Amino acid sequence: MSERDEGPGRGSWLSRFWQDVLRSTDASLLGFLRFLGLLYGPLARRLPIDQAFRKSLNYRLPGHIGWGHALGGITYLLFIFMIITGVLLSFYYRPSVQEAYPSIQYIVSRVPFGWMLRDAHVWSASLLVVAGVAHLVRVFFSGAYKPPRETNWLVGVLLVLVIAAFGATGYLLPWDQWAYWTVTEVVNAVDGLPLLGGFVAGMIKGDEFVSGATLSRFFALHVIVLPWAMLGLLILHFALVRKQGIAPPAESGRRGVGIRFWPDHLARSFAVGVLLLALVLTLAALFPRPIGEPANPYVVPDSLVSTWVVVDVSLALVRYLGTWGLALFSVLAVVLFLLPLFDRKPERRWRKRPVATALATVYLLGFLLAWAVGRRLESVPPSSSLAPALEERVLPPEIGAEEGESADEDAGAEAAPEEGGTDDEGGL
Amino acid sequence: MRRDLTACGVIVILTACTLATPTSAQAQGDRRLAQQLGTGGASQYGCVICHKEKRRDFAEGIHSNRGIVCHDCHGGDPAAVEREAAHAAPFVGTPTKMETVRICGDCHSDPNRMRPFGLPADQAAELRTSRHGELLFYRDDPNAPTCTDCHDSHTIRRPEDARSDVHPLNIMGTCVACHDDGPLMSEYELPTGQGETYRASAHGVGLHENFNFAAPTCISCHGSHSALPATATEVADVCSQCHALVGQAFYDGPHGPAARAGKIPGCLSCHSNHGTELVPIDGIEATCRSCHEEAESEAGAMGVEIQAVIARADQNVRFAEEAIQELVSSGRETDDARFRLSGALTDYHRMGPAQHSLDLEALEDLGRRVSSVSANIRNRAEVAAEQRWEHKLILIPAWFLALAAVFLASLQVRQRRRDEPGERDE
Repeated sequence: MSERDEGPGRGSWLSRFWQDVLRSTDASLLGFLRFLGLLYGPLARRLPIDQAFRKSLNYRLPGHIGWGHALGGITYLLFIFMIITGVLLSFYYRPSVQEAYPSIQYIVSRVPFGWMLRDAHVWSASLLVVAGVAHLVRVFFSGAYKPPRETNWLVGVLLVLVIAAFGATGYLLPWDQWAYWTVTEVVNAVDGLPLLGGFVAGMIKGDEFVSGATLSRFFALHVIVLPWAMLGLLILHFALVRKQGIAPPAESGRRGVGIRFWPDHLARSFAVGVLLLALVLTLAALFPRPIGEPANPYVVPDSLVSTWVVVDVSLALVRYLGTWGLALFSVLAVVLFLLPLFDRKPERRWRKRPVATALATVYLLGFLLAWAVGRRLESVPPSSSLAPALEERVLPPEIGAEEGESADEDAGAEAAPEEGGTDDEGGL
Repeated sequence: MRRDLTACGVIVILTACTLATPTSAQAQGDRRLAQQLGTGGASQYGCVICHKEKRRDFAEGIHSNRGIVCHDCHGGDPAAVEREAAHAAPFVGTPTKMETVRICGDCHSDPNRMRPFGLPADQAAELRTSRHGELLFYRDDPNAPTCTDCHDSHTIRRPEDARSDVHPLNIMGTCVACHDDGPLMSEYELPTGQGETYRASAHGVGLHENFNFAAPTCISCHGSHSALPATATEVADVCSQCHALVGQAFYDGPHGPAARAGKIPGCLSCHSNHGTELVPIDGIEATCRSCHEEAESEAGAMGVEIQAVIARADQNVRFAEEAIQELVSSGRETDDARFRLSGALTDYHRMGPAQHSLDLEALEDLGRRVSSVSANIRNRAEVAAEQRWEHKLILIPAWFLALAAVFLASLQVRQRRRDEPGERDE
């Protein structure tokens, strides 16, 4: 490849150095960009970088690609927002019991545009989950998971789990009462699961109760373990998409020419990205996430207003269908996640796949319904093992007096047999 | 005949053997008991042969390990086994009510004997001064209570022991055992139902529901051994044992001298006795008018003023608390605001006692302090709210830039398409 450009003797030392860099990176830089999902075109490793670039820019997307296919890209874009805002937040955030809460206060009140970083991080996270789930639904109903792409479906499912873990670990970091007691509730629910529940809960907590040890663990998971896991899975996800290509249309029929990667697709991506950023900023400015009182293990709140969708859903399911309702619902989710392993027929039109379509529709509608109901319930009765003892002995009289008002809610939770209280979020 | 005798002898020996076993076991038990009763290991303590249950009751009480035994109170001869011999003089048996006072007083009125236990030695003297003592000592009333009616006769426990009848949580039940007995109380023209009223009051709830042992029981106001109902002139003094600031303010104001003179029943006029009702803020004016009936009077006007000042302060405190909540939820530091609020709350709570002096100026002064702190805290919340509102202004440049970028990108794409007409897609 050395014959293509100017000889090594020409130009200043700087341009010679640059040529060396180009030669050494060659098309592998492009390959990396491709793995990251930033380039779509086929690559020829032997090509010099500018030609390889031009070639991949001239790539035409398949004709059936529409806006429905943008959901995965939007999820990815939001993940990039998360990384940027998250890194900036970690400049100021301090993961310790003494400093976590004050550092959040410092970020939102003193750091220039700190409020924007935090609320953009929060809103990007919410939108990321929405976009990710929408992407998953799109893939499911268009049958894009059918062989040979079932491995990529599984990678996608793992990505969903990693996203959920991101949400769960990030929820505790502000170290306010909501965070503390929601996490306590959920960890106690895990504790109540049979067999390994207690062990897993102990590993999560790192202590007898949610404490500074838990905070450290959650922080390390949130900023070290999970990002790398996510990156690895993402590279695999994109690499598989590149290797196997975009799934062909379910309905054979019209097939356009397809738009060019450059400039049409990149311009559209750019527009979507900019508008998405503006949307995140708008949500951040209009609906900032409120902060609770600092976490206090000795004060059990009367009611927990969880902003965590999974908690809402589990709460509604347990309240109205009982523990078994939640268990069945969770089993249905697992079945749907693993369906591509069994559903190997090539049929991809959703109308011709009644069972899969029906199951997924029931699950989705049930999830949305339970979410809407759970948000109205707006309360998680503190069922921690700590709470009953505290309520009886330590709590000041005002809280004891108000206990009577929320008694009907507690009774509702206790109506489920014995473990009803702790199994509230058993599905988590 | 000889054979018969031998047979008889065998039977007698066998019987003796079978009888001997339980007898020796009994003796052993008695020795244990004797040690327990502190009789210095005497081999036999006769009383418990018959009075087993009494022994068991007594062993649970505080006296059993203080070297006190049956005959210390009941007389008789514990060394005797036979009933008659055991009950020989000097035998007391079941003491009468007066004898009970004397027997208990033998030890409990002796300061030297009570000193090691940190107990007072004046209970018997106090009892003599009480209404109960009057009935017992001077009227020979069979209904009058004696020591054992409240403290139990054998299972006598410390007041700190939760099983004791005189433990703070149980004392109401002990008093009410007689004082809720309608026919009995009607003999002395006493009302009943005080226990129930007390139980529902702030004092009763504090003690029985929140287990606040600083809350008073019956004896805290009426005395225990010197139980007497407080007279009208004494009520304010009784209450101000705990409510010291209120009492001070009350005697500073115009109502104090009137109460001392017995013209008004002190605190009871507004707060009732066993119910200890708190006058709500919006009920102050009405409470004043319950005595000062003419609405246009100076006193009536003062009631209106007091209520207005306190209501305003109450509102200011609530506003400040809400402002702190706003500050918390917007991530502002609240330590300073909370510190100031705690100062304001001190002033606010001082208004409660202060109003009893009817010194409107002092009351207004406290109100002004509360309102100034409240205004300061609310001001901070407003500043924070303004800052948060300003955050929304970022949307103008953000959307302008976003839309401009999208517009320029689309222009660029269109331009390129026009430049390369052959490259049009679809």
